[in-house]
Amino acid sequence: MSGLEPIQPVLLARRGKPNSASLETYLADGGYASWKKILGGLASGEWTRAKVTDLVKASGLRGRGGAGFPCGMKWTFVPPTEKRGDKPVYLLCNADESEPGTFKDRLLMEVDPHQVLEGMMLASFALDVKHAYLYIRGEMVHAAEILNKAVSDLYAQGLLGTNVLGSGLDLEITIHRGAGAYICGEETALIESLEGKRGQPRIKPPFPAVSGVWDCPTVVNNVETLSCVKHIVDRGADWFKSIGRNEKNTGPKLYCVSGHVEKPGVYEAPTGIPWEELLALAGGVRGGRKLKAVIPGGSSAPMLTAAEIAGVPMDFDGLVAAKSMFGSAGIIVMDETTDIPKAVTNIAKFYAHESCGQCTPCREGTPWMHKMLKRIVTGEGKRSDLDLLLQIAGQMGNGMTICVFADAAIAPVLSGVTKFRGEFEAYIDKSTQPEFETPAPSDITAAVADRPAAGIHS
Amino acid sequence: MSGGANLPVAEQAGNPRAGEHGALSCGKALTFSGGTQADFDRLLSRYPTKQSALLPTLWLAQREWGWISREAVDYVATLLDLAPAFVWGVVTFYTMYNRAPVGRHLIQVCTSISCHLNGAGEVYTECRKRLGGLKPGETSSDGKFTVVEVECLAQCDKAPAVMVNDDDYAVITKDKLDSFLEGLK
Amino acid sequence: MAKVTVDGKVVEVPNDANALEACRAAGVDVPHFCYHPGLSIVGQCRMCMVEVEGVPKIQASCTVPVRDGMVIKASSEKALAARNATMEFLLINHPLDCPICDQAGECKLQDNAFGAGLPVSRTSEPRRQFPGYDRTSIGPHVIADMTRCIQCTRCVRFCEEITETGELTFVERAGHTFVWTHEGRALDNDLSACTADVCPVGALTTKEFRFRKRVWWLDKTRSVCDGCEIGCNISIEHRDRVVYRFLPRVAPLVNDFWMCDYGRFRSEELNRQGFRKPEIRVAGSDVRKQTNWGEALDAIKIAIDRAREEDKKEEKIASKVRVIGSAFLTTEEAWLLATLCRDSLKVNAPEFTVDIGPKRRIRNKVDGWIYGSEAAPNSRGAEAAGQRKTKEGDGSPLSLFLSKQSSSSSSSFSPAVLYISDANFSEKCNDPAFVAELRKASVLVVHARTRNALTDAADIVLPVAPLSGKEGTFVNAKGLVQRIDTAIVSPPIVRTDLEVLLHLGNRWGAFDTQWTARDVFERMQSSVPGYENLSWDSDSLVGNPPSISAAAAYDVLGLERDPGVEVFPRPSVSAPDWIP
Repeated sequence: MSGLEPIQPVLLARRGKPNSASLETYLADGGYASWKKILGGLASGEWTRAKVTDLVKASGLRGRGGAGFPCGMKWTFVPPTEKRGDKPVYLLCNADESEPGTFKDRLLMEVDPHQVLEGMMLASFALDVKHAYLYIRGEMVHAAEILNKAVSDLYAQGLLGTNVLGSGLDLEITIHRGAGAYICGEETALIESLEGKRGQPRIKPPFPAVSGVWDCPTVVNNVETLSCVKHIVDRGADWFKSIGRNEKNTGPKLYCVSGHVEKPGVYEAPTGIPWEELLALAGGVRGGRKLKAVIPGGSSAPMLTAAEIAGVPMDFDGLVAAKSMFGSAGIIVMDETTDIPKAVTNIAKFYAHESCGQCTPCREGTPWMHKMLKRIVTGEGKRSDLDLLLQIAGQMGNGMTICVFADAAIAPVLSGVTKFRGEFEAYIDKSTQPEFETPAPSDITAAVADRPAAGIHS
Repeated sequence: MSGGANLPVAEQAGNPRAGEHGALSCGKALTFSGGTQADFDRLLSRYPTKQSALLPTLWLAQREWGWISREAVDYVATLLDLAPAFVWGVVTFYTMYNRAPVGRHLIQVCTSISCHLNGAGEVYTECRKRLGGLKPGETSSDGKFTVVEVECLAQCDKAPAVMVNDDDYAVITKDKLDSFLEGLK
Repeated sequence: MAKVTVDGKVVEVPNDANALEACRAAGVDVPHFCYHPGLSIVGQCRMCMVEVEGVPKIQASCTVPVRDGMVIKASSEKALAARNATMEFLLINHPLDCPICDQAGECKLQDNAFGAGLPVSRTSEPRRQFPGYDRTSIGPHVIADMTRCIQCTRCVRFCEEITETGELTFVERAGHTFVWTHEGRALDNDLSACTADVCPVGALTTKEFRFRKRVWWLDKTRSVCDGCEIGCNISIEHRDRVVYRFLPRVAPLVNDFWMCDYGRFRSEELNRQGFRKPEIRVAGSDVRKQTNWGEALDAIKIAIDRAREEDKKEEKIASKVRVIGSAFLTTEEAWLLATLCRDSLKVNAPEFTVDIGPKRRIRNKVDGWIYGSEAAPNSRGAEAAGQRKTKEGDGSPLSLFLSKQSSSSSSSFSPAVLYISDANFSEKCNDPAFVAELRKASVLVVHARTRNALTDAADIVLPVAPLSGKEGTFVNAKGLVQRIDTAIVSPPIVRTDLEVLLHLGNRWGAFDTQWTARDVFERMQSSVPGYENLSWDSDSLVGNPPSISAAAAYDVLGLERDPGVEVFPRPSVSAPDWIP
């Protein structure tokens, strides 16, 4: 059986049901069965922490937040009890969904909050977590209210708290609201923010699994990832693996399709659904127009032209092969009427606004790129700007900064300018700005070589 | 002016714009009301360190007073045993803490890529124009409206998306703007 | 220890070192901004980029812990390109006005732009401004200019980690990020000026030094702060006999990289020289006239000899001559004074007292906070050298002086000669009642630099040099012996306490007037506890050199005296007739 056959919705199965967010309907639909099953199977030894972790590992579940890191493997990085001493382990659910073009986690939390909460509870069990936090974006006020209601219902029903259902197990869940910072979706920035600080990513190592929030071992998982965990424990790893293109891209996946399509929205499909099928689910390009470009994984993913994305399997490895990335599966569709330079400028503005400001290349580079792009689209560009843009972008990423924000910021610029250079040049042709001699890179290299040796720092 | 307006320094005297962006004063000392204080106490019990309660405490402060004034920063710092400067650094890092009073309707127009592709830039400009030519972030003279541009609201399927105070509004295109604004009034 | 290879050179570094420190240990200069050995690692300036073998991405060396066998390529093409990139990013918004910036000459950005930057600028965008946050006072000592800030957060970390007062913070984010205080709260802590020290650029400067001298003109001399008993190692920065500032000198056992504002801003005090010639009372009047050293010292000798004759008649032990020492004297000076009293004058040992001032503090990694409450640098050295420390109420003659606030008592002790080796040995020297007690002596002699109530009352004033003119050793609160060097040779005629005491002693045949502080040090070693096994030139005494930037490397040792001024002429004069 091919894993790509259309599936019944799993994560979104309860979308559209009346009162889908309430605990009653969730329980009525068989919710928390796994949680009760595990708590019940504790004493007999039928369920152990390792068993849950092994299930998740076997399922091949990859993180749905953007990096696609195997979830089970991430869990095994937490040091065993004897090594971590009396330090507790924390689970943080990353609900800081801020990547432009991504809106699946919000839907999951608004429609079916108990699904992610059960996923958190199961993961907490697997990781020996006593207190889990869900860090939700400040802007998602409505979702936060729903989650808070859901959590207090769980406490009222005894499904959370001390000695849950008489099993001897304690578990607390706290909903923590952010306050408007894209970077807090980066796991170490999220940790800093949860600690009450500015959301500035931390240097790694130490990795959060070893020393994260409050210097304790910490696992950070995305909302969709944890929602998947619930279904893996419900239905088994084999079921999960049977869905998806291959064993490295498994399970049901939520695709956020927005931009110039007839029916923008979240679509659930097997991981690796071919591009054309996904586009068809979203009703095709708006108004029957021609496709121009697609950003396939949230605004941080390199842009693909219509030709490049043709036939590409929409999953982690498929999009890497197409020299882009799957990211958070925020698929932004741009039709033939799209002004690419303006779109790229818009994205550059986003990154110039959201950089946390600690690393020099990102703090200085993102506004620089935005200023140049803005100048180009307002008719003051220079021909040399385009090469300079590419060079600046080239010296911001790849280890030049603490986190990968800069890599995300340069991807749309690099891909946009390279693939649609003609459109940028058309703006520049209309420019009134006098040309200005920018030294060629080779001249600079030569000058650098002539420079006296370093050795003046005290 | 940060750094003590009371310091007699020549450099400061000659600078007409000194202090334009520092924490504004609300002119009176602040303390939480009883209900908010109870919420705050509950908050503290949810975190292993006091500092971790900073973001939620600032939310409480904003709920109570509508914006984060200099006095609110001082008060929150005292509550959580933090340096006021640290609290101010956190307030300014996040975009959702209002650093000045805002209108009754805080209209937050998303202009990120998906909304941009669907005409959000025009909606933002037009919205300000129809409310009497407000500048970005400016509050209308009747105190009813403040219009700001925000980043992606995770409503890309309902572009252009707008958030008014805590409520989400979907597909606010330029032609729907009039009825949308009318609905707010 | 870990063996690390840097650009082909193998070095051994401690296991907790980072790659940047390994590079420095190997003598490979990796430019950096946010790294500071006294502060936590944040790795955010991205200047110290190097390649580490086996790691695909370029690394900020300060964030990479060393491993045994690690191979670092600090000067590879990729590493240099990365540093060029960071320099370019830093310079696109930094003002290009070094000629009017006070940091020029000791600016890391300037140095690194020269060493690691591009020779051209590729930006044509307007530079970022911080209106309202430029050239603004943010505290009693510090002026901030955010257009120059490179967001390295050294100052923020200093206030969080060292003083733990947290006055500074990053404000805003992204390209608008800057450092500031919270509205209405000043950067006001006891170490606040250290933020200007750690600032690699001209964003934070001290009001006291700003625009007073281009730093490349400054000579730097090792010294020790005399503000309290902690004895922070400092560099006296001076030019043309003017002291411009103190900077802390690295001393891991004492002040690490820091010093307190109180000590730092005592520097201006050193430029005050109230007495430039010896002064002696005009017979039968209450005024003094300027004189020469010979006359002054001879007068002292005559007065002391007469008093001793009196004592002999009364078969007492030299009770008519009293000597007051000071905790501001170097141990060498204190020893000379004590030796003079014991061997030549045959009078009681000098007594001294120390003011208990406000508690000063400094922090280092070894001890944490260390505190100093004695407001003088060398009470331990003075005691070890044979001076007697007195406190109010312990019955000693000096304590009687100290406790007598009204001069009504007829039983108060009035010596024939009172020799005070420091007119500022206590704050009480400005207290008229206290001075009136001292004035009961028939002959009052003081060493003095500046005028106060005591000098006004004195019969003979011997002009002496301040800290910047001295050489010798201090013993600090932890018992460490630390050396100070002569920064500024005193103006002609003004002499150091050491020289005065040598010449005075020589009047009784003691000492050699040619002795240097080192000669005295070596002679006293055997008799001063704690000095037995020390050597004048040892590292523990000398401490670290002042950090000398490339532009300001002057030879501070080649100081010479003004030629042509005869030192201590010795005409034999008769005693002034007012000496009893």
